[in-house]
Amino acid sequence: MDLFAVLPIAFCLMLAVGTSAPPLGGLRRYAGVVASAVILVSGLALVVAVLDGQTPTAVGGQLRVDALSAFMLTVVGSVGLTATWGGLEPRTGPRATASYPALVALFLGAMSLAVLADNIGVLWVAIEATTIATAFLVGYHRSRRSLEAAWKYVVLASVGVAIALLGIVLLYAATRSGGSPTLSWSQLDANRPPLDPSLVRVAAALAILGFATKAGLAPMHSWLPDAHSQAPAPVSGLMSGVLLSVAFYAILRVQAIAGPVIGPGLMRGMLVTAGLLSLAVAAALTIRQRDLKRMLAYSSIEHMGLLALAAAAGGVLALSAALLHVLGHGLAKSSTFVVSGRILATEGTTSTTQIRGLLTRRPGVAAPFLVGMVALLGLPPFSLFFSEVAIVIAGVERGLTWVMAVAVVLMLVIFAGLARHTFAVMFGQRTAPGRGEAAEPADRGAHGPWIPLAVALGVTALIGFAAGPFSTILTDAAAVLGANQ
Amino acid sequence: MSDSLYAQLVGLSGGVLLLSAVLIVWRRSISAEVRLLAVQGGALAGLVTVLGVNEGSTELLVVAGLVLTLKVVVLPGLLFRAVARHGASLREETPLINTTTSLIALSLLTMLAFLVSRPLLVLGDDPAIAAVPIGIALVLYGFLVLATRRHAFSQLIGFLVLDNGIGTVAFLTAGGIPLVVELGASLDLLLVVLILQVLTARIRSEFGDADLDDLTELRD
Amino acid sequence: MNAEAAVLALAQVVAMVALSPLLVGMMRQVRARLEGRAGAGALQPWRDLRKLLAKETLQAAGTSWVSVAGPTVLIVSSLLVCAMTPLLGTVTFTSVPDDLFVVVSVLLIGTVAVALVGLDAGTAFGGMGSSRHMTIAALVEPTVLVSVYALSIPVGSSVLSQIVEARLDDPASVASPVSLLALLALAVAVVAETGRLPVDNPSTHLELTMVHEAMVLESSGRDLAWLELGSWLRLGALLGLLSTLLMPWGIATELSAGGLLLASGALVAKIAITGALLAGVEVFLAKLRLFRIPELLAGSFVLAFLAVTASYLVVQA
Repeated sequence: MDLFAVLPIAFCLMLAVGTSAPPLGGLRRYAGVVASAVILVSGLALVVAVLDGQTPTAVGGQLRVDALSAFMLTVVGSVGLTATWGGLEPRTGPRATASYPALVALFLGAMSLAVLADNIGVLWVAIEATTIATAFLVGYHRSRRSLEAAWKYVVLASVGVAIALLGIVLLYAATRSGGSPTLSWSQLDANRPPLDPSLVRVAAALAILGFATKAGLAPMHSWLPDAHSQAPAPVSGLMSGVLLSVAFYAILRVQAIAGPVIGPGLMRGMLVTAGLLSLAVAAALTIRQRDLKRMLAYSSIEHMGLLALAAAAGGVLALSAALLHVLGHGLAKSSTFVVSGRILATEGTTSTTQIRGLLTRRPGVAAPFLVGMVALLGLPPFSLFFSEVAIVIAGVERGLTWVMAVAVVLMLVIFAGLARHTFAVMFGQRTAPGRGEAAEPADRGAHGPWIPLAVALGVTALIGFAAGPFSTILTDAAAVLGANQ
Repeated sequence: MSDSLYAQLVGLSGGVLLLSAVLIVWRRSISAEVRLLAVQGGALAGLVTVLGVNEGSTELLVVAGLVLTLKVVVLPGLLFRAVARHGASLREETPLINTTTSLIALSLLTMLAFLVSRPLLVLGDDPAIAAVPIGIALVLYGFLVLATRRHAFSQLIGFLVLDNGIGTVAFLTAGGIPLVVELGASLDLLLVVLILQVLTARIRSEFGDADLDDLTELRD
Repeated sequence: MNAEAAVLALAQVVAMVALSPLLVGMMRQVRARLEGRAGAGALQPWRDLRKLLAKETLQAAGTSWVSVAGPTVLIVSSLLVCAMTPLLGTVTFTSVPDDLFVVVSVLLIGTVAVALVGLDAGTAFGGMGSSRHMTIAALVEPTVLVSVYALSIPVGSSVLSQIVEARLDDPASVASPVSLLALLALAVAVVAETGRLPVDNPSTHLELTMVHEAMVLESSGRDLAWLELGSWLRLGALLGLLSTLLMPWGIATELSAGGLLLASGALVAKIAITGALLAGVEVFLAKLRLFRIPELLAGSFVLAFLAVTASYLVVQA
């Protein structure tokens, strides 16, 4: 079992190096898919192990798998598989350059390292590594807009993560003065050394601020719409679907360490502010969007805001609902981004003002998009409906009634905006319906693999109803975060 | 090492760090700023050496060597070559706030750094802890440069000053961070600088000049 | 105590009145020699003063009593500064200590007097010179205050004599980084205050580049003599203060004939060295554009501010 902890990272590194070597050219196309598959299999195996009561460790304790890590690894694998497999371009399309699969493999490896690390410092290094791996992926198309997005992304994400490093350094100083210098939360959990509250307060505030920048929470969100709209579709799917959630995972870990020392007050305040601001930003700007991918990016900001509110609420219900939401959002968002890439490839644009009547003209492409959007809007039977409801209920239970009321209102506004755009794109009529347009037969082709999309969206639909071992892993993961206090 | 000598050396390296940061904000010539960045890296390496000798820790001395190689040799070398490729005398001609205002802002930021460092003084009485406000001040100066400069290289230099400040705080409060994390952080920094350089070159070839105010196409 | 202080003050005034024109003459001579000219000799300022005092004093049309009172106020304030700064000795009056803030205020009175003289004639050049002069003064006064304040923090008192005595007692503090930083800032401030390059060119004849000379364009005879002597006294006193803070040895802590002689010799040496250095450096500098001067002064202010914060750090540690 311990092997499965090391396997994803080692495999991704090997792939990254291997795809850079010319002889393995044929492998390049599938590098990302294979890596994600390995990660998913490892994740599932580790989930089984953890449910059995084991705690696999590797690399001398630097990697440690508890329920939360195993769950997050599964999320990374499944969303990665959806995005990379679904994003496979038809063989007649332009071939990717050598760096693309290596960067994707590095990206996946870094995210796996982030969720499996036992040491906050290594978590930090891994998250910074994701910024490095995605920098050139965002600027892949080398157009003016991509360069602008890439620059903003690298600078803002690096600065944010640097602030998080300052917080981590101060936390380390606090543990050092408390007698046991360590950055490993297994040790902190076991020993509970006396940490100075004022110092930990500053450290936790800085760390949360820094990781919140990487998670795209307002007011540090300005890089997100640019970066996620300019990157190639599978990369956007990966970034929106799982990278933001990994940053959120870091926030949860910091909260778990600092909570017993300084109490919930400061962090709850920060997360509530960030969450409501993110929802407000998304609500204000979604209706104005003219680009499908940018619209989806703002939807990611909305969902991250919701997750921040869940973290602020705390407690078993809120945290396990948040983790369910992470999975559901990841799968739905990555599927939708992948399909938006196909829309771009077939229509030549992702502008919401120019595309009309997509469902009638290209049902093979429009149908998955519509299903994905229904999932993201939080409609039943998709799991996002259940997780959102659970988060609101948990928030009310934990004393955040007014906050949740405002959040619900904002989410309705966002719902209206997203629905309007989707409706216009799917069902709208072009201004001149005649003139040879009716002569075009409906394009029923899927323009890409349909299996990963079907599986992803199907899982999102069904998982809300699944009981049994699935809910156990969620509550176990929430318990890891000290939720049973 | 005697206590007073230790305190003086810590004070001296802290003073050089701060002075080089002030001069970076003051000067407009980018190659001068890169040279000052090298001086700052040297002061940071010196600080780590002093701390290492005082505590008798070989690990800290190794880290001092790492800081020296990275921040005095490698990074300024990379930046010098990039600046040389860019053109002979590169200057930040149009910062968002003029030099006088940024210098006065520096004084205010120094006061802010002192205020913010108050809770950190619980860590102890030795001169190293008393010098923590210098690190925080460096972080704030780096932010100022990042936020108020238009040229891509200036923003990069501001980011490096920010990172130096975080390093200073790390070494002063905790005697550094675990070696693994230190190595990872250094590698990350190096790669970020390389990435930003490549992006700057691409921006320059695409836009004709690395003035970041030209990057305004993406907005809501 | 007060009698001793009075004697010391008188001695300082006499010494500075004798030395300052020589100082200016020496600086001009050094500059001339470095520029390859023969120069007018170090006694030329004395000759100029004698000539001016013998000439008739004319008042420009439209000027008021300010043009007569201004030079008098300037010379009186400069003499007071010479009396108060610890140049020869550190004995002070008990009721009027040579506190930093008092000295800077007296300097400021002189500054304002000159500016008013420049404005009084109503000419364009005079007004221009006055406005530039006050702009520079607005930035220089805080720097002088803060830089000397940085030096006063370890001493615990802002009385200049006590600062000098403390530095005399503890030679290590003279070479400490805080002290060097503060003195660097003070040097820049002194250069700006006394109108030397790179802030103002004292030997320029182009009116549009003038700062100090533009204000005295309309004065003549005795008024001009007082204005010139007053500014030379300020230069001497400030250079003396700077060099005493930098090298406090030789100053008399108590009044005695031998001590005063030694102190006079030390003072002559100190301001000669400082003046020669300043004149030498001036040869290599060009005058800054007016718009760049606030940058230079803000930079020196920041350095002084950093010296203050650093000395607080040192005191805490």
